[in-house]
Amino acid sequence: MKWIMVLGITICVFLIVLYEWPKMERNQKKEKTSFVLLTTMGWLLAILLLFFPDMPGPTQMIDMLFKPLGKMLEK
Amino acid sequence: MIEKGKISAFQMAFLILPPILSTAILTIPAVTGKHANQDMWISPILASFNGVFTAFIVFQLHKTYPGETIIQYSQHIVGRIIGKLLGFVFLFYFLYVSSLIDREYADFIISSFLPRTPMVVVIGTMVLVCAFTVRGGVEVLGRAAQIFVPIYILTLVLFVLLIPDLKPENMFPIMEHGIAPSIRGAIQPSLWFGQVFLTSMLLPFLTDYEKGRKWSVLTVIFCMVAMVYINIVSLLLFGESVTTYTYPVFTAFRYISIATFFQHLESVVIIIWVMGVFIKLSIFYYVLVLGMAQWLHLSDYRPLVFPIGFLMTLFGIWAAPNMQELSKFIETIIPFLESSIFTFIPLLLLIIAIIRKRGKKKKGITHL
Repeated sequence: MKWIMVLGITICVFLIVLYEWPKMERNQKKEKTSFVLLTTMGWLLAILLLFFPDMPGPTQMIDMLFKPLGKMLEK
Repeated sequence: MIEKGKISAFQMAFLILPPILSTAILTIPAVTGKHANQDMWISPILASFNGVFTAFIVFQLHKTYPGETIIQYSQHIVGRIIGKLLGFVFLFYFLYVSSLIDREYADFIISSFLPRTPMVVVIGTMVLVCAFTVRGGVEVLGRAAQIFVPIYILTLVLFVLLIPDLKPENMFPIMEHGIAPSIRGAIQPSLWFGQVFLTSMLLPFLTDYEKGRKWSVLTVIFCMVAMVYINIVSLLLFGESVTTYTYPVFTAFRYISIATFFQHLESVVIIIWVMGVFIKLSIFYYVLVLGMAQWLHLSDYRPLVFPIGFLMTLFGIWAAPNMQELSKFIETIIPFLESSIFTFIPLLLLIIAIIRKRGKKKKGITHL
């Protein structure tokens, strides 16, 4: 089941690339690099989240940073 | 310049109104009532000072560096490396806030209307719609807001239908325990008012930027009045038990029933509320994508729209394991985080910018 979802995610990413890639001009090197990087990041994160849904995320990070202040508002 | 479109200050007011108001419109009585009880209507008034203050700081910053967004001028003010770092903090926070908006929207829709739809679908479809709007640019966004937001505000008038059920005695005694509970209740609304910070990314695209300050302050005042109004109506309707509802305003609309055939207005409210979320998410999305393109010095922001949308959907699912934890997090942690990012950092930037300007002037004199 999970492998089908991996396939689904890959198709989604593929569709994004298919839609966006022809629209960029040949000399837009920087745009292409950042586009590829962001898309790969998204793809990797999607797969990671699929296999480890309880991975600590940004919420936990911010929670750790601001915990002492947050206690003031708890009731 | 990356963005070629222009909007008017009036359109900008419509664009920053949903970010401030759209979450508030559903939850503010519960959030402020928890701390302030029957004085909950005072809290938005106190909270709006934060909005006016932020609007003022952001406008002053823009006046010092006209035609630039905060991502660009933070590099001029504190130098390249720290500026880039600050830009990253802003961008990451925009991404994070949009994921929270996604998640709140999905939780609400799933719990009240579509209990069996997977969250990916609910979030994904919303992000897709917003993605096409964002690709259209700031003008499209401005016009969409101009059409949707007035309808959105008109729903508040529907509260008039509740007049027979209101009990004015719920409001008393006013300030039973002094002003302190109202101040505690004001902490979270001040978070929403801080989102007037978004003007720092929109001011460079105004055709009449002198009016920018006037309209952002007017928006803050309008939101304040709307929140006070919502709070008073739900207080008079439910009394202090209002805090037991997660979405009191939504429940209030369920009460409307005239001659037994004019009922179930909550479905209309949802349509309109989804419109508000749409504008709110689009504006955060736009600001994120534009900021990212400026941060990386790209010539166009459009290639980034879909990859970032994909990330946003994932972050929305990743944000929290369940709704209870998320709402606790939003109530206790986010107010500090958001006021430090949206108000405190711009304030520091403004102070540094003023000091540097003075230093330059003095140097100029000694050289003469």
